[in-house]
Amino acid sequence: MSLFKKFHLLLKNKYVLILAILFSLFIGVTAAQEDVSCYHCHTKVVTEFRNNIHYDKGFNCANCHGGADTSNASVISYSVMSGDFIGRPTRNHITDICSKCHVKETEDYKTSIHWDAIEKGHPEAATCTDCHGIHEIRAIKDPNSSSNHHNSPVTCAKCHSNKEMMSAWYYGIKADRFDTYKESFHWRALDKGYTLVATCADCHENHKTKTHTDPTSSTYPENLPKTCGKENCHVGVNFDAKVAGGLVHDKESLHTGELVFNKSSMDPHMRDYYLGPFDLAYWIAIFFKILTTTVIGFFTGMVILDFLSRLKIHRRF
Amino acid sequence: MSRQKLIEVSASRKIGDRNMGEIFFKRFTFNQLAQHWIMIGTFMLLVVSGMPLKFPDAWWSPVIINLLGGFSMRTQIHHAAGIGMVVLGVYHVVYHVFVDKESLLDRKVWPTLKDAKDFWQTILFYLGKADHPKYGRYSWKEKFDYWGAFWGMVMLCVTGLIMLFPFQAMEVIPYAYVHLSTIVHTDEALLATLFIFIVHWWNVHYCPEVFPMSKAWLTGNLSEEQMKHEHPLEYEEAMRQMNEKGGNS
Repeated sequence: MSLFKKFHLLLKNKYVLILAILFSLFIGVTAAQEDVSCYHCHTKVVTEFRNNIHYDKGFNCANCHGGADTSNASVISYSVMSGDFIGRPTRNHITDICSKCHVKETEDYKTSIHWDAIEKGHPEAATCTDCHGIHEIRAIKDPNSSSNHHNSPVTCAKCHSNKEMMSAWYYGIKADRFDTYKESFHWRALDKGYTLVATCADCHENHKTKTHTDPTSSTYPENLPKTCGKENCHVGVNFDAKVAGGLVHDKESLHTGELVFNKSSMDPHMRDYYLGPFDLAYWIAIFFKILTTTVIGFFTGMVILDFLSRLKIHRRF
Repeated sequence: MSRQKLIEVSASRKIGDRNMGEIFFKRFTFNQLAQHWIMIGTFMLLVVSGMPLKFPDAWWSPVIINLLGGFSMRTQIHHAAGIGMVVLGVYHVVYHVFVDKESLLDRKVWPTLKDAKDFWQTILFYLGKADHPKYGRYSWKEKFDYWGAFWGMVMLCVTGLIMLFPFQAMEVIPYAYVHLSTIVHTDEALLATLFIFIVHWWNVHYCPEVFPMSKAWLTGNLSEEQMKHEHPLEYEEAMRQMNEKGGNS
């Protein structure tokens, strides 16, 4: 009797359990049918958005993509696709969205050569999302952020190492900017884990990126002392920029002789400014190649001959 | 020709030593030995901490940097050792030019016509067509070692200091020359390293006569046997002077 009673109780409990599960399933399904969220279709995008600094601050899809924001903040409902919904903005309109909040940054960006190119009808020029990410915009301080200080070379290289892109619409840009940066002490230190060095944005400015022939550019020869002498960098720089200019990026082309033999593409003002010593550098690099090969080759030969002579002659003296 | 120098023969008579009575020839003063030891120490530190930066893409580059304790430690080691080497170089020149009393022209490190002849004779000897040349105090190889190191020290110290204080240097020279110094510094360093590791170490370490090493760098002395073999002319001169001295007394 007691056994039956116990079994009966257990069964009863099980029914209760099953009922509860069925009920919650029902609720879940009906609720989901009412709220078809962005997540249902844009699973990847919304997952990326979870890492976005804007998600942490309480923004949602509608804040950028427009539309009626009627539901919960994280994964809003399909009703968003009404009203002023803009969907996927074109590249030249991305700044319009970001500038809603980031006024100062957009203002700075609009003085850059990137924006200049977009305005000239080259929408592939870098805009906000190329550096900061599209849906996975992380805080600048986040080490995983593509616009973090030490990720800046790789981020810029996405476009600036792309030969087709660099030659397609702007003849003056070489695709070896990252490769030549790799020749510098800055990169070598950064690559080995020492992050207190200059990366792209430190010299070229993150938003106000300009060509080095532009007098307002941070990399314009006359402005270099100020740029190098920034806080936390080479503080106290006090040198005459007129003599202290130089081709930071062209050490590699020295070794290949590209710069020495191909000066025609250079702006005449810049050519007078920079070149001269760089011809010397090319020949010095060649000189050391020859000197090292000759001296080491010759003396290694002597060592080998010395060794062989000892095999033949037992008593040398 | 200074007679005093040549007959600096130190006799070792340690009681109970089975080499009792063996004569040693003074080759280097303690001052010179100490300079060489400091040179070895700083040079090794500089090579180990510098080469990972010359070849940053090599597999061993991050390994060595980690062993040294990270990149900034590597830089500090390189700077400290580099300053040590600059001080050593300045000391060397100041001591041997201004303090050492021997007249500069009488020094036996200057290359002479005999060295050129010896050089040619060495090649002929290696090819089995001549006798081995007889060397004086310094052979042409040793002179090349010395002047090679001298040239290298000048190049490396000057370019190293430029790179250590780039913006101070830029008050005097254009930025382009700072770049030049990175080329000169690393290429010259590679040459020096290869030369030391291949040629110099063959002469003083690997060569069967002295293997595992010539003890002259520790004691400053050469044995009579070594002296006869490696510097026969100097040996003869020293013996002649000793006999003269002995005859006089």
